[in-house]
Amino acid sequence: MSSWLDYTINGLIVGNVYALVAVGLALIFGVSRLINFAQGSIYLVGAYIGWVAVVQLHTPLPLTIILVAVVAALVGLIIERFGLRPLQNSVRIAPLLATIGISFVLDQLVMLTFSPNPRALPSQLPDVRFQVGGGTIGPLDLLIAGVGITSALLLFVFLRYSKLGWAVRAASQDRDAAMQMGVDVNRVNQAVFGIAAALGGVSGMLVGMYYNQIDTAMSLQATLKGVVAEVVGGAGNVPGAVVGSLLLGLVESYGVAVFGTSYRNLFAFLLLVVVLVLRPNGLFASARQAPPEPLTGTFIAPSRPLRIPCWALSAAVAVFAILPLLPVSFYVLQTLINAWLLGMLALSLTLVAGTIGQVSLGHAALLAIGAYTSALLSLTLNLPVGLAIIAGGLMSAALGTILISPSFRLRGHYVSIATLAIGEIVSLVILNWESVTRGPIGISGIPPLSLFGYDLISPASIYWFAFAVMVVLALLQARLLSSHLGRSFRAIRDDDIAARAYGLSLNRYKSLAFIFGGFAAGVSGGIAAHLYSYINHETFNTQQSILALTVVILGGLGNVVGAIVGAVALVGLPEVFRIAAEYRILIYGIVLLLLVRFRPQGLLGTI
Amino acid sequence: MSTGAPEPLLALSNVNTFYGQAQVHFDLSITVGRGHIVCLLGGNASGKSTTMKIILGLVKPRSGEVMFDGASVIGLTTPQIVRRGIASVPEARRLFADMSVRENILMGAFVRNDREAIAQDLDKMLTLFPKLGQRLSQRAGSLSGGEQQMVAMARALMSRPRLIVMDEPTMGLSPLYVDRVLELIRAINAEGVSVFMVEQNASLALEIAHEAYVLQTGKIVLSGPARTLKEDPRVRDAYLGGSEAA
Repeated sequence: MSSWLDYTINGLIVGNVYALVAVGLALIFGVSRLINFAQGSIYLVGAYIGWVAVVQLHTPLPLTIILVAVVAALVGLIIERFGLRPLQNSVRIAPLLATIGISFVLDQLVMLTFSPNPRALPSQLPDVRFQVGGGTIGPLDLLIAGVGITSALLLFVFLRYSKLGWAVRAASQDRDAAMQMGVDVNRVNQAVFGIAAALGGVSGMLVGMYYNQIDTAMSLQATLKGVVAEVVGGAGNVPGAVVGSLLLGLVESYGVAVFGTSYRNLFAFLLLVVVLVLRPNGLFASARQAPPEPLTGTFIAPSRPLRIPCWALSAAVAVFAILPLLPVSFYVLQTLINAWLLGMLALSLTLVAGTIGQVSLGHAALLAIGAYTSALLSLTLNLPVGLAIIAGGLMSAALGTILISPSFRLRGHYVSIATLAIGEIVSLVILNWESVTRGPIGISGIPPLSLFGYDLISPASIYWFAFAVMVVLALLQARLLSSHLGRSFRAIRDDDIAARAYGLSLNRYKSLAFIFGGFAAGVSGGIAAHLYSYINHETFNTQQSILALTVVILGGLGNVVGAIVGAVALVGLPEVFRIAAEYRILIYGIVLLLLVRFRPQGLLGTI
Repeated sequence: MSTGAPEPLLALSNVNTFYGQAQVHFDLSITVGRGHIVCLLGGNASGKSTTMKIILGLVKPRSGEVMFDGASVIGLTTPQIVRRGIASVPEARRLFADMSVRENILMGAFVRNDREAIAQDLDKMLTLFPKLGQRLSQRAGSLSGGEQQMVAMARALMSRPRLIVMDEPTMGLSPLYVDRVLELIRAINAEGVSVFMVEQNASLALEIAHEAYVLQTGKIVLSGPARTLKEDPRVRDAYLGGSEAA
C-alpha cells in the first residue's frame, strides 16, 4: 500500500509532464487563439524519437533529450508553416479543424512507421528509490521535475528578457497592435509552435520512460490532458497552465488512490467540466476577461449551396431503394449499410455543428448511449428490438442533451473542448458502471434487428431498414430546417449576441437541436448495436466523432443531403479504391486538411 | 524643406478599396507634406479608419498607389512599413494591457537595436510625458484613458518615426486630456515628425492641422489648408455647427 505522500509525489510528477504539454498549448492559444489538437501528436512523435534514440542509436540521456526537442520542434515548425499559416485569413474554426486533421495524419504516420504495438522505452537511469518521509522518489521522478522546472525557468527568461519573447507577449495581448510596432507575427507563431513542440516532444519521451511503454494511443490522451490543464489554468495563461497541470496531476492521483486506476481520466474530465461551468475563463482569470466577441466570422460562411432538383433526389432515393433487388454483392450492401448508419450520425452532427454552430467533438457518446440503451432494454426486458431502438434514440436525446447542457453557456472552441470531455466521460462511465453496463467486458449476444416480430437477417432487409430510417430522419430534418425553428438555429450560429438581443433563448434552441440530433444519433447507435451483436465502451470512440465531423464538413455544414453524400463518399470511396484499413484514418485526416484549405464549404455547400 | 516642389512624405493616389463587394474608397488621393500635420475628417462609415489601415498595410487596396518617402509601400507587410518610418497610435489606443507601462513604451522601439539610444529616448519620453514617470511599472491596462493615450503616443515616438498616423486620438478623453493631446501633437510635430490624423472632432483637428481633407462615403469632397476649410460654409454646416456651440 502506497502512502499519501507517494500519491502526492506521483501527482506532482505527472502534473509536471502535463505542464510541458499545457504550457505549449497556452502559448499557442495566447498568440493565435487556437487550441492545438495536434499537440498530443507531437508528444507521440517525441516518445518515438526518444525510442529510436535510446533503443537504436543508444544515445546518452542528455543527447536524447536534445534530439527529441529538436526533432519535435521541427515537426512543430512544419505544422505551423504548411498546415496553419495558409489558413491565417480563413474563418476561426478552420485552424482548429486543421489541427485535428494534422493530428490524425501524424498519429497514423507514426503507427504505420512503428506498428501499433506498444514498445518499451527504457529510462537509462538507475532503478533505485530514495526514501523521502513516508514515500519514495526515484531518479526518473527527479529528472521529470528537473526538466519541468528548467523549462519553466527558460520560458520565463525568454518571455521576460528576449526581444522575441516580448514580441510573443505583445502579440498574445493584441496581435494587430503588435504588428503596428513592427512585430512579425509569422515569426512569433513559428517561435511559439517550435517551443510548444519541443516541450511537448520531451514530455512524451519522459512519459514513455515513466511507464516504460509507448504506443500510439498516447496522442489523444495527451491532447486531452493538456487541454484540461490549460483550460483549468485559464486558456492562454502560461503560469496558469503550470498550476492547472499540477492540480490536474494531484486530482488524478488522489482519485486513483481512492477509487482505482480506471477512474483516473474520469476525474480529469470532471475537473474540466466543473471548471468550464463555474469558471470558464479558468481558475486564475483576472476579473477583466476577454470581451465576448460575436461569433460572426467563426464559422464557415454560408455559401451558395448546390441546388439538387427534387426529381433528382427522388430518383437517387429510388435507385438506392431498389439496389438490393439488383445483382449487387453482399459486400456493396454491407458497405452502404455502414454508410447509412454514419449518415444518421452525420445528420445529427450537421444539425448541431452546422446549423446551430456547436462544433461537437463528442458525438460518439450519443451513439453509445443509444446503443447501450437499446441493447440493454432488448436483452434484460425483452423489449422488441424496434421499440428498443426508438427508446435508445429517446434516451440519447434526453440524456445527451442533459449531459451537454453545461456547454450551452460556452462559445466557439470551448464548446468543442467541453463536448470532447463529455464524450470521454460517457465512455468512462460506461467502463466503470459495471452493474449496469457490464464494464470492460461489454455486452454480447445482443438480439439481431427485428421488426414486428420478424428478424431482419438478410443483408437486403437490414439495408432497407437502415436506409428507410435514415431517409425518414433526413426528411424530418429538412422540414425542420425550412421552418422558423431552422432560421432561429442559423441566427444563433451566425451571431448569438444578436440572436439573444432579438429575444431568442439560446439554451432552449440549443436544447432543441441536441434533442433532435441526439435522437438521430441514438437511433444510429441502437441499430449498430443490434447489427454488431457485441458492443463495449470503446466501440464508439472519439475517432468516430472526428470521422462524423469530417463527413459533415465534406458534405457542407448544415446540409442534410450533404451529410448523406459525405457519409457515402467517406465510407464508400476507400472500399472502391480498396484502401487498406490502416491507411483509412490517414486518408480521412488528409481529406479533412484538404477540405479546410481548399473547399471549406464542402461538396454541396454550407447552408 | 527642399527647394522647388517638395516631394510629399506620404502620398495616396487614386486608391480604391473594397470589402468584398462593397467599395470603401473611390479614387482616394491624399498627400502629407514633410513636417506637416494633416487631418482627415469624416463621419461614421466614411472610410477614415480604412484609410489608416491602407497606410499601415493592414488592408490592401484593389488599385492605386501609396508612396512613402518616394517609394511604394503597396505589398509590404505592416512590420516592413513600420521599419520604413511610420508609427501608429491606433484607435482606442490598443495598449498591451498586461504588460507594464515601461514595456509598452519600449515595445515601440521594437524595430530598433540601438540599446543606449533607446534608453535615452525612454528618458526623453518621460520629460515629454512626465506623468508616466510614476506609472512605469504599473500594468498598462490599469491606467485611465488619458494616461493610456499618453503611453500610446510615447510608444509611437519610440520608433523615431518620420510619420505618425493617429486614429481618433481624442476619442473618449476628458476635455482636459483633449487639450493636452493636441498640445502634444503640436510638440511632436515641432520636432520634425509629420502627423496624419483621423478625427471626428473637426473643430479641434482644424485647430492644429496644416491641411485637411473631408471624406464622405469614400470620396474626398473637400480639401485644402485647414485655415480655409475652417471658414468654408460647407464644413461649418456639416461638421462645425454642433461643436462650435459647445
